[in-house]
Amino acid sequence: MSTPIPPNELRADELLAIRCQLGERAAFADLIKRWHRPLWRYLRRLAANDEVADDLVQDTWLRVIRGIAGLRDAARVRPWLFGIARRVAMDRLRALYAHPHDDDSRIEEIAAPVDELELESDLAALEAGLASLPVREREALALFYLRELTIEEMSVLLGVPAGTVKSRLFRARELLRREFRKPGVIA
Amino acid sequence: MNPETNSLKKVKALAGAELSVGARLGYVALLLVAAAMTTVMVSLWFTEPSLPIRTQAAFGVMTLIGVGWCALAVWALRARRPLFARDRVIAGGMAVTFTSLFAAAGLAAVIVAGSPAAYGTFATGLLMLSIAISVFIGARRRFAALMAKRAALELALVRLVP
Repeated sequence: MSTPIPPNELRADELLAIRCQLGERAAFADLIKRWHRPLWRYLRRLAANDEVADDLVQDTWLRVIRGIAGLRDAARVRPWLFGIARRVAMDRLRALYAHPHDDDSRIEEIAAPVDELELESDLAALEAGLASLPVREREALALFYLRELTIEEMSVLLGVPAGTVKSRLFRARELLRREFRKPGVIA
Repeated sequence: MNPETNSLKKVKALAGAELSVGARLGYVALLLVAAAMTTVMVSLWFTEPSLPIRTQAAFGVMTLIGVGWCALAVWALRARRPLFARDRVIAGGMAVTFTSLFAAAGLAAVIVAGSPAAYGTFATGLLMLSIAISVFIGARRRFAALMAKRAALELALVRLVP
C-alpha cells in the first residue's frame, strides 16, 4: 500500500506553488525538476510510447504554466498537476476518437496495446501487464503505486467517490494478477 | 539518452520561452495604449457636432480597430500569458502611471481648448485612472498575502527539519 505523504513534503509542494504564483522563474524550474518525472511516468502509462508521452507531458506543462496563477488552493497542487495531465491525455483520446476514420493507428498510440510488447524481463512483463489493463484501471494503479497520490486525492482528481477509487484499484490488481498467471508471462 | 531526461530538456526550453516577462508586460502596454487611443477616438466621434458620414465611418473603423487590439491583449493576458502576482503589481503600476498621464493630458486639453471632446477625454481618463488604482491595490494585496503565506510555510518547514 502507499505510504502517507510526509507533512514537510506537502508543505514544500505548497511553498513551490506559491513561489510560482508570485512569478519566481526559479520556482518554475524547481517545480519542473520536482514533478516532471512523476508526470512523465504517469502519462507514459497512459500512452503507448515515449514520443506520445513526451507530447502529452509538454502539453501538460504548458497548461500548468498558464494556469498556476489561477490555482485557488496551493496546498492542492499535487492533484491539480495530475488532473491537468489527465485532462490532456483524455482530450487527446477524445480528439482521436472523434475522427476514427482519419487514422485508427493513432488511437493505438494512446491506448497502449500489450501484444506487441516483448516480454524480455519481469519488468517488461509488469509494464506489459499494466498496458493490458483498461485505461481507468491502468490510471488508478499508475496514480496510486507511483506513490504520488492518496485515495482521497485520487477521488478529487478523478471526480469519483473514494469507494470507487478503491474498487478500481481492486479490479486493476485482480486483472493484473490474472495477467501474470498466464503461462510464460513471468520468466 | 534516457527518454525522461530528454523530455525534461524539452520542457525546460518550453518553460523558458513561456515565462518571458517582456511578452507579458508588452501585452499590458498594448492594452493601455489601445484603450487610450480608443477613448480619444470615441470622445472625438461623439462630441464633434454634424460630422460628415465618411468621417463618422472613419471614426467607427478606427474605434473598432482599437477595440480589437484591446480584445487581443485581454485574451493574451487571460489565456496565453497570464500575469503572476509580481507581474500584476508591475502592470498595475504601469497602468496607474499611464492613466495619470492620460488624465493630465485630458485636463490640459480642457484648460487650453475647453472643447466637449477634451472634457470627454478627461472624464474617461479619470475613470480609467480609478480603475487602474483599484487594480493596483488589488494586485498589491494579493502579492502581500502570497508573501505572508510563503513566509509562514518557510518557517514551518524550518521547524519541521529534524
